[in-house]
Amino acid sequence: MQIFTQLIYSGIALGMIYAVIAFGYQLTFATSDTLNFGQGDALMLGALVGLTLVGLGVNYWLMIPMVCVFGAVQGMVVERIGVRPAIKIKSEFGWIMSTIALGIIFKNVAENVWGHDDLKFPSPLPESPIKFLGANVLPMEILVVVGAIALMAAVEVFNRRSIYGKAVVATFNDRDAAKLMGINTGLVITFSYALSSMSAAFAGVLIAPLTLTGATMGAVLGLKAFAVAIIGGLTSGMGIIVGGIILGIAETTTGFYLSTGYKDVPGLVLLLVVLALKPAGLFGKTVIKKV
Amino acid sequence: MIPSLKLTALSLLLAASGLAMAADSIKIGVDGPFTGGSSSMGVSMRDGVRLAVDEINKSGGVLGRKLEIVERDDEAKNERGVQIAQELINKEKVTALVGYINTGVALASERFFQEAKIPVMNNVATGSIVTHQFDDQPDNYIFRNAAHDSIQAPMIVEEAITRRGFKKVAILADSTNYGQLGRADLEKALELKGVKPVAVEKFNIKDVDMTAQLLKAKEAGAEAILTYGIGPELAQIANGMTKLGWKVPMIGSWTLSMANFIDNAGPGGEGARMPQTFIQEATTPKRKAFIENYLKTFKPKNNRIDSPVSAAQGYDSVYLLAAAIKQAKSTDGPKIKEALEDLKTPIEGVVTIYNKPFSKTDHEAITANIPVFGEVKGERVVFAYPDDAKKASEVRLKDANAKGALAVPAKKK
Repeated sequence: MQIFTQLIYSGIALGMIYAVIAFGYQLTFATSDTLNFGQGDALMLGALVGLTLVGLGVNYWLMIPMVCVFGAVQGMVVERIGVRPAIKIKSEFGWIMSTIALGIIFKNVAENVWGHDDLKFPSPLPESPIKFLGANVLPMEILVVVGAIALMAAVEVFNRRSIYGKAVVATFNDRDAAKLMGINTGLVITFSYALSSMSAAFAGVLIAPLTLTGATMGAVLGLKAFAVAIIGGLTSGMGIIVGGIILGIAETTTGFYLSTGYKDVPGLVLLLVVLALKPAGLFGKTVIKKV
Repeated sequence: MIPSLKLTALSLLLAASGLAMAADSIKIGVDGPFTGGSSSMGVSMRDGVRLAVDEINKSGGVLGRKLEIVERDDEAKNERGVQIAQELINKEKVTALVGYINTGVALASERFFQEAKIPVMNNVATGSIVTHQFDDQPDNYIFRNAAHDSIQAPMIVEEAITRRGFKKVAILADSTNYGQLGRADLEKALELKGVKPVAVEKFNIKDVDMTAQLLKAKEAGAEAILTYGIGPELAQIANGMTKLGWKVPMIGSWTLSMANFIDNAGPGGEGARMPQTFIQEATTPKRKAFIENYLKTFKPKNNRIDSPVSAAQGYDSVYLLAAAIKQAKSTDGPKIKEALEDLKTPIEGVVTIYNKPFSKTDHEAITANIPVFGEVKGERVVFAYPDDAKKASEVRLKDANAKGALAVPAKKK
């Protein structure tokens, strides 16, 4: 039983890492039907900027808001350069290539600035594990789970309660109608990209003490988070959390009970099953697209 | 940004000087991963090569001609290695190649050099079959001056089972060619001792969670973990053990000495042991000069060479080649190869003194008696056994009859 608890804990911690990145995909999809495929690289930039700030002597907790500002600016840049031109000409796929291209550019820049090696991110919390219900958890893992949920809750509350959030929801529901109602939809989309990259940068500094920090850290995480976004549904906040936890636990339990050689397989099989049976995701609403 | 700018400037300079003396310089290709998870080995190797080339050129070059190096980053990717091999052979027309860090890249790329009859001095990649790919052909152009896995695996097993008396061990290896070939060698070496590993687990490059693998090892009652992987993931294993509150010794291939393992694992990495051909300590005048020169030229962090073994072997590989070119009095591939197989004068390198390092049938310069055990202590690699440290000034010479290596099965036709 202790083993199982340990696997579940690690799975949840891993799953929440995926979920918080997947959340960024969802934010931009909600307003503009586009995704930032450079999400993993936004995360990496956030972590590396955070590492530099910590290296300069900035306190970890003080550094977080600074990194969030950086992430927001970075997101605006991505939207302006990569996404807006594609939306303007109503290109269905232009943004896919341009966000991927920007992601690669960010990675190369990071390699030149911070080097190629994986670096250690000093942990703000003690690195010795805590015993909890018979299994070990790192304080940092608890922080990731709490931080991820807090971030998602904050954004959800913002969207539902504030007038600006209503503009976001309106833009998602019908971009043209929202425009006619006087909402600056272009600004809303820019804002959603800023918010998306901000959450990625926040995720970056949150998980960096657990993973290693380096120019290539975003690639695998960004991809797995994308799988989570598809499994959970690109329109559901709840789905992202559940999807993340499912994938995380699937990885750790398969690794233990089946074989570590196959640990990535069940999650991806689940992805295929979801795509075949419920393409909008486990929790997603099926939208009928009128052509 | 600064270091890379410097690098660009340097490479421009190199390229420019290359044009100026293209007619009479001898081109040596250098291939290794200068980016990504194995870059600490690649970059240290390259710096060792640069140091040796610089010294040789300062003392007049080889055959009155300067050596010129053509560096390429294979990113530890097999397909990049293949492209680079073709470029170096057909476009750059190199005389020989030194390098290869990753066994997979070496295995994918060497074929082209073999076909073009251009000698390859493998200075870091350790996969056992690296030098045996072309055993079925009359001439084999692949040489090596690194401790291959058929030496390392038995050393690891000897350390764990015989010296330290562990009865239950688990193997954790990554899913690359390097990790899986090493795992096979470890299993073979354990079998010779009549021991079966209690768990054999796999992980992928860039994995961030090792809980499942470690729990399996823990449940099976492992008393030590034998590893075959590279720095970042090895660090995640050490960190995972800290998290589970389960600490058993890590003993593994020489990659446990990589800077990115030591730095990322922190206190969790202390005590890890691995076979090393070179430990950064000035135990002979030659080694002293090498270390001082390296530190002065490249100024690594905390005066610690990122991968001392790679740097030393990179340095030695150039001297071995230069000696062969000198003896052959030619830059013709087959002649250099013949000279390598019958080097008349001993060459004093950093790792050892190479006295007839190769023969027609033996292309391995390092034998089982040369490497010693290193241990991570105070974030540096030091001698694991005081006895080895005391005797370090006696250079260990190649002994073709040294016991302890696994037999490498001949390649099937």
